[in-house]
Amino acid sequence: MSHIVYGVWNGAVHDYRDPSKPTPENPVALHGLDVFNEGNPIRAFVGDRGFFVFDKGVSLIDTFWRYMDKAAEQSCGKCTPCRMGTVLVRDALADMRQGNSSALTLDDIVALARQMTDTSLCGLGMTCGKALLEALENFRGEFEAEIKEGKQPEQEGMVYVTAPCIEACPSKINVPQYIDYIRDGKPSHSLGVILQKYPMAATCGRVCVRFCEMACRRNLVDEAVGIKTLKRYVADYQTTTGALTFSKAMIAQSLPPSMRVAVVGAGPAGVSCAYHLLLHGYHVDILEAMDQGGGMASIGIPSYRLPKDVLLSEMDIITQLGGRFLFNQKLGRDYSVDDLFARGYRAVFLGLGCQEGTKMGVMNEDTSLTGYDSGIGFLLKVHDHVAGVKPIKLEGDVVVVGGGNVAMDCVRSAIRMGARTVHLIYRRTRDDMPADKEEITAAEAEGIVMHFLTNPTEILSADGKVTGVKLVHMRQTEKDTRGRRNVEPIPGSERVLNCSLVIAAIGQQIQSGALTEKDGVSLNKWKCVDVNKTSLATSREGVFAGGDCETGPATLIHAMAAGLKAARAIDDWVRRGYVRFFPRSRMRQILRDNNVLASDVAEIPVKSEYRVHHPELDPNIRKQMFEEVERPISREEAYHEAKRCMRCYRVYSVVTAEPVPESHN
Amino acid sequence: MEHEHEEAGAKKILHATINGVAVEAEENETILHCARRYGVYIPTLCELDDIDHTPGTCRVCLVEFEMPSGDGKTKLATSCNTPVVEGMTVQTRSPRARSAQRLQVELLLADHDQDCATCVRHGSCELQDVAQFVGLHENRFYKPSFVEKRPVDDSSPAMIRDMSKCIRCQRCIAICREGQGVDALVQVGIGQDKAVGLRFGLSQKESTCVTCGQCVLVCPTGALGERDETDKVLDWIYDPEIITVFQFAPAVRVAFGEEFGLPPGANVQGQIITALKRIGADIVLDTNFGADLVIMEESAELLKRLASGSRPTFTSCCPAWINFAEIHYPEILPYLSSTKSPMQSMGMICKTYLPEKMVLDPKKIRTIAIMPCTAKKDEAARLQLQFDGKAEIDVVLTTREFARMLRREGINIAKLEPSDFDNPYMGEFSGAGAIFGTTGGVMEAAVRTMYYVANGKEYDAIEFEQLRGFEGVRSATVDMGGSIGIVKVAMCHGLKPAREIAELVLAGKADFDFIEVMACPGGCVDGGGNLRSKKAYMPNALKRRATLYNVDRQQHVRQSHNNEQIKTLYRDFLEKPYSDKAHHLLHTMYTDRKQTLTRTVKEIWEDLTISDPLY
Repeated sequence: MSHIVYGVWNGAVHDYRDPSKPTPENPVALHGLDVFNEGNPIRAFVGDRGFFVFDKGVSLIDTFWRYMDKAAEQSCGKCTPCRMGTVLVRDALADMRQGNSSALTLDDIVALARQMTDTSLCGLGMTCGKALLEALENFRGEFEAEIKEGKQPEQEGMVYVTAPCIEACPSKINVPQYIDYIRDGKPSHSLGVILQKYPMAATCGRVCVRFCEMACRRNLVDEAVGIKTLKRYVADYQTTTGALTFSKAMIAQSLPPSMRVAVVGAGPAGVSCAYHLLLHGYHVDILEAMDQGGGMASIGIPSYRLPKDVLLSEMDIITQLGGRFLFNQKLGRDYSVDDLFARGYRAVFLGLGCQEGTKMGVMNEDTSLTGYDSGIGFLLKVHDHVAGVKPIKLEGDVVVVGGGNVAMDCVRSAIRMGARTVHLIYRRTRDDMPADKEEITAAEAEGIVMHFLTNPTEILSADGKVTGVKLVHMRQTEKDTRGRRNVEPIPGSERVLNCSLVIAAIGQQIQSGALTEKDGVSLNKWKCVDVNKTSLATSREGVFAGGDCETGPATLIHAMAAGLKAARAIDDWVRRGYVRFFPRSRMRQILRDNNVLASDVAEIPVKSEYRVHHPELDPNIRKQMFEEVERPISREEAYHEAKRCMRCYRVYSVVTAEPVPESHN
Repeated sequence: MEHEHEEAGAKKILHATINGVAVEAEENETILHCARRYGVYIPTLCELDDIDHTPGTCRVCLVEFEMPSGDGKTKLATSCNTPVVEGMTVQTRSPRARSAQRLQVELLLADHDQDCATCVRHGSCELQDVAQFVGLHENRFYKPSFVEKRPVDDSSPAMIRDMSKCIRCQRCIAICREGQGVDALVQVGIGQDKAVGLRFGLSQKESTCVTCGQCVLVCPTGALGERDETDKVLDWIYDPEIITVFQFAPAVRVAFGEEFGLPPGANVQGQIITALKRIGADIVLDTNFGADLVIMEESAELLKRLASGSRPTFTSCCPAWINFAEIHYPEILPYLSSTKSPMQSMGMICKTYLPEKMVLDPKKIRTIAIMPCTAKKDEAARLQLQFDGKAEIDVVLTTREFARMLRREGINIAKLEPSDFDNPYMGEFSGAGAIFGTTGGVMEAAVRTMYYVANGKEYDAIEFEQLRGFEGVRSATVDMGGSIGIVKVAMCHGLKPAREIAELVLAGKADFDFIEVMACPGGCVDGGGNLRSKKAYMPNALKRRATLYNVDRQQHVRQSHNNEQIKTLYRDFLEKPYSDKAHHLLHTMYTDRKQTLTRTVKEIWEDLTISDPLY
């Protein structure tokens, strides 16, 4: 545990500078603030609600100059107190740390810091003067002593700017920044911010599960900012005259032809990894078992949510950057990991996905029955149906088991393919369903019959054909020690639901036979690829893995984030032989461990503004079609929605004993 | 009644106090809005109520407040975008609120160009005002380096953008985006370099801006203004060799007296003539004469187009509309009337017919037009509107420049005796010409003449009420009778409605013969070259318009074709409307100026200000 010498946090002053007085044990519960990286102690920490000094020798003037320098660099300049305050305070501290006389007195700095804190428009200005203000109000003597000393010693460390939505996003997209560019009138710049993290912006803008919106502090006022809606708006701008072009010019430095990397799987993880490797200068081949790219985003997401042409146009980015797709190449059938190294690839990324449905484990669950399918197997058929490869017409009733987004996609697709009635069976309550709430509401509007607290017990069949499912009612048990309710069957509540098709949409796993023991890539107890969580390196040297095959069925945005992380690790491994420490990740860990970004209350009342929603087609019309259901929003609506962002930027800084190691930007 | 009660009951009323006085507010009503209803003044700067603009960027309108659960702790908030909360107590004049307001304005001045005396806005600046209102006594933080890097764009013949005077209120962006729907402006830069720029980083001249000048009307400081050309005019007046021929637009006479303390809408036509004569103008004419001439040409052109089945025809007298069509809707150019604007037609006749009649050397003539318009400066510089390598109009002065020029000459309009136009060749005008200055006026003037052409007699009632109104888009059906029959017309003012109409026409969904477009909301009476009102947008448009209709009513001649001097002009010089000679002198053409820009992701990445560049 770090030893606090002095500081202020959440308004509480801590002063243990007098060695003759005993320091209380653990005055503040801080986690992981001893060292930043190995052998590099943290000497001071500055955040949005205070600061701590762990080493008496720290120069406060230099510490706050470093902090304010970053704040001034990030100040957008729209509002007066932040635009001028950050600059004036930074310049005054810069003079003081050089031992020069400053145009401003400490009183002036207090007045400016207070003005910024009290009157700034956004989170950056409101918070970046707070710690300095506390320091000057409570430890002014330290500043005065340093001014008397003159020139201050050079200090090391790093400053990190973030926001709750950024931290919540697996890809760490600079959300307020891309919203700001919309507000500024520059949708292409907005798209540019997103493209720094992944190429599939239009896809993400349609199907992302939006961790950012859950973390959005606008929730404290009215409703989260429509971040996903705005992402789709700027991505769709690509289809207008303002379209941006991708080319090899984006690659800063192309590497020699021998620097080849193989990416297995053209899903979101693989495509994102390939994109970043290409931008690092590598020569990348993507090997894909299917005959087109997209992976689960293509087969797992129906076209009424994500039109195929949108997805395919984003696959083209890889080609435009010089990457190659090798289709109909299935790992375990057409080649092995050994083969890839034999072909001269320096490293391999496995983005295999989880493409095999999990069985329900009920009586008579014979996967060879006509009228039995897994969720993912069914969506693959939907995909072929929409593509015109193999049209199907459903007849009779359909039963889908499961409560996630795959189950939602199955029911909404089944109704579009002519099923008479579509039933959803879920063993818990509606509130417990892991699927997006919007999806559930949309499915209900389209006439899906929902059976909650219901579970299948047996598949009924005749002549090799499914005829129905036996169901049992469930009830919630008392809360367990963790406050969770479980469910149990109600004896004697069995009933039969007749149907011609039953779809088990309860989970997926890596396709059997893709990886064999000979590949040397070990799996964990959940049958997922086992990796080092910081580098995504597998048990085999030079082989990295990410996305669903590593995490189990998860989200598009997690897969794309893994692709970026793996690309960084592969670049380090190929060129340096090891994966470097990544300082930004370390800062994020500090914020997470200490729950620093916890959204509190909106301290100043904020006027509520309605949130823009995508216009949707009438449920009775849309349930007959596979064209995109959500219509685009207008330019005026985009401006309105972008204005709702409160820009909850926060600045965090550590002062360390040694320089923070360099890494990827 | 019962229904009304229900509605009133459904609205939640909040209770609070402002400066100790109990107030009631609607849910989500801002403190500022509520305070104004109760007559409590709070200094503001960036906010502009008339266009519902509260960006919250200047942070001047601070008040001190306490929440009911505030345990005695007070906070500051900007009143413009903070809602009233039940039980809140607000102080607008407490020492803390006042000192925070004062420090804010001091910070605003810290990176604002300090050379007030040379500023186009000197004396009418909202920033100067607010500095006085908050009692600013010192200016400690200013450094020249804070403003040096901010750009001044003087590429356009019409407007100058001096970003060292921008206070980032974003009113210009709001009016361009939401008011006009042109959306030519974007925010650029970061920190102290934050400013307003043109889309795609282009200069004003090359940009998608149509120079309507509505942004100038709302700018609180001198950041936006017209190119000042008063010195050029004064030099010509001083030069005995040069013959200065002035004209002024219909809307100028009704939107000018305010500057000299006369009531809004006062007609100062006679005083303007006196003023121009006093500063030494050689010949003073009325653009209304040009308007009558345009009606003759445009009606003839329209009848010809109707006969050939070509419809609709758009009017072409508004230069910002022409810019808009060329830059944003070039597909629509074939539908535009080829008739030049009244100002340009006047310029051409002043340099051909007038010197012939008056036995003057045309080379010595300088035509000066006083216009309520910034785009007219742009129009005068158009290559299509040069004649033998010389301009038809040598200088356009906006109403603002004209006011400035009179002040330089020590003239107060309010104290002048009116006088009349005295030119025997181009000094007369009809009531139809006068109403050109308001939305629907061009249409009505044209209809009066077309009716005569169709029926061989005048329309009995003279005024076409169905063409008057103030909605953004209006349409009407006029039975011309005779050889023409039913004519379907539409009128729109403001470029947002103009865009709607253009889209309809291009989609083949518009059933109109003749469409009048004026780029500025209200028409020329609130054109972008008019005098600026502080903290207000279009406050006097309707009063100015009413005066124009009165001018029409008081005019002896009310149809362009009955203007005797126009008749003489055709008889002696132009032959007949749309003759070869008239076509040569009074008609023009348009060019496609649509921007096609291809940009790469790399270029965008290089232009990102804050983010985590990866490559």
